[in-house]
Amino acid sequence: MTVDITKYSKFLEQVASEIDIPPGKYQDAVDRYKAVGRWLEEGEYPGCSSELSIYPQGSFRLGTVVRPIRDGIEASYDIDLVCEMPLRKDQSTPQAVKSMAGDRLREHGTYQKLLDPEGRRCWTLEYAEQDGVGFHLDVLPAVLDGRGLLSTALAITNKNGSAYSWSASDPRGYGAWFDGKNDAAFARAVVEQKQNIQRRASLIYASIDKVPDQLVRTPLQRSIQLMKRHRDLRFNHDDHIDYTPISIIITTLAAHLYGNEADVYSALSGIVGRLQAHTALVEGKAIDRSLAAMGLIQRRQDGTWYIGNPVNPAENFADRWHEDNHARARAFFAWVDALQKDLLDILGEANPRLLKEHLGRVLGTAAVSKHLDVLVLPAAIIDTPPRIHITSPAKPWREV
Amino acid sequence: MREDLRQQIVELMGVHKGLTNIVERDAETIMSGPLPFEASEDGLETIEESFEIELIIPHGFPNTLPRVKETGGRIVADYEHRNPGGTLCLAVPVEQRRVFLEQPTLLGFVNRLVIPYLYGYCFWKKHGRHPFDEAAHGYEGILRHYVDTLGLHDDLAALGVICFLFEHGYRGHHECPCGSGLRVRACHGPALRALHEHHTPQTLRNDFIAIFEMCYTKFQNGQLSFPQPLRLQLVRLLNRFKN
Repeated sequence: MTVDITKYSKFLEQVASEIDIPPGKYQDAVDRYKAVGRWLEEGEYPGCSSELSIYPQGSFRLGTVVRPIRDGIEASYDIDLVCEMPLRKDQSTPQAVKSMAGDRLREHGTYQKLLDPEGRRCWTLEYAEQDGVGFHLDVLPAVLDGRGLLSTALAITNKNGSAYSWSASDPRGYGAWFDGKNDAAFARAVVEQKQNIQRRASLIYASIDKVPDQLVRTPLQRSIQLMKRHRDLRFNHDDHIDYTPISIIITTLAAHLYGNEADVYSALSGIVGRLQAHTALVEGKAIDRSLAAMGLIQRRQDGTWYIGNPVNPAENFADRWHEDNHARARAFFAWVDALQKDLLDILGEANPRLLKEHLGRVLGTAAVSKHLDVLVLPAAIIDTPPRIHITSPAKPWREV
Repeated sequence: MREDLRQQIVELMGVHKGLTNIVERDAETIMSGPLPFEASEDGLETIEESFEIELIIPHGFPNTLPRVKETGGRIVADYEHRNPGGTLCLAVPVEQRRVFLEQPTLLGFVNRLVIPYLYGYCFWKKHGRHPFDEAAHGYEGILRHYVDTLGLHDDLAALGVICFLFEHGYRGHHECPCGSGLRVRACHGPALRALHEHHTPQTLRNDFIAIFEMCYTKFQNGQLSFPQPLRLQLVRLLNRFKN
């Protein structure tokens, strides 16, 4: 053990916060989506009696946002919003729901300019911000499913060519499930973190109770952010890109496997260790009984894979894992091994320069360089170590 | 701190920038921190590594050489070349001085002794053998050093050499202590002169004790007999220890 675990955990925490959305940006994003929400709310929609609601889903909702990296360059944040129309699935058609939202956005002079061509499920508004750190606001039109087990179940629209269809989604239910996994750690962290955030962003938040809960991060959320960043850099090559582990799988499995550890390193090492313990499934072999009983990643009789949506077991996140000779499954477990090696075993690295290089390669150079001083004295981080050519060396000896 | 020592510390830190922690004690100065390096030797691989080290510099430096500890716990317990106190055993003392005197500064000490030692360790860890060979432990290693580097016939010749150096220092016109019958300057002259120059009174005295003890044990076991002139010389030299 060469790197101190406490320091390393602090370092991971800081890197995760570096790739997270900063409070100022978060507030900008909230202001932007609320404005979009107000605009959508004020629209007239045929058949809608009550008000629609607009709220974030995905990583922005779950507190697992990672600044995307594209071709090695940090890109705009993706923010997913659900635009829930006060309609039931059986009262409308997917095409009508999709175009209601799209038409309303086009009525606004600014949004019309920001709007991308119609996407498969969403309307995307591209905000290029003055500081260069923009947003993609994905607005996902949805209606209440009305049939699901949970009252939160939604129907969302799907465009395939010119044909529209419904699919099931439950971002509220998923969010509540995730919160359940995160609650205890959140309660431990909330006071101290809000104090810190308020101190650093006192212009944005006048007092501690003005700091939104959505900015507090538990070791689970930090671990997911680090895993996603590692994933983004590892699969940033065209040849892998199709098999990249998807965020919903990472987030779901991490939340299931989080053992309420109190620091980022322990949380990450617990999650990665328990994921690695599933690797034998690739060869069709048995895994540890208690893990098998949890049934998080299942291999079925016919060789296909199952990773269930915790709020809708009928939805299988791994429905394509068997394709191309289990390419996604293999890519997933190879990536889990890389997480172990790159983010956990790295503790054995004593050379400050190699530490900087390795961590920079797997987490992003900018974020790593900024916080490496937590791990090693700045003086030790030199670009090249002294080069020594050995001539007429002595033989080692020992006193008795 | 002495001015010359201070300057040498500055020079060392200019190259090995991690050694930033400096503590002054009564009779020594301790520098510590990470020591990253990229080292190579002709015909051998380049190794890039970093070790946490502690350099204990006695105020008697450069007559007394620094001691070095590896404090990161990287050197495995079964690596034999560490002294009982945990310091790294860089070489037999006179050999340490020979290498040190090629560049007699703290920087030279680190570059020529500490880093080659750590390189050797990394090489051993990887390949299971030493790149520069290794010396036998304790007094045996010292005795062998004389026999091997001077190309002597036997242990007795080594005893002759150390007695000669201890009694006279370097004398070119004396008969060579190796037993060839030639004069020193026509025989082991350069080697003896080098040893004479490398030794301090303390290291010379220690080597005398080491080689004498090794030979005396063999004498007691009947493996070795001392010729009369050597016997008389030993009596003279051992008398020095009485005072």
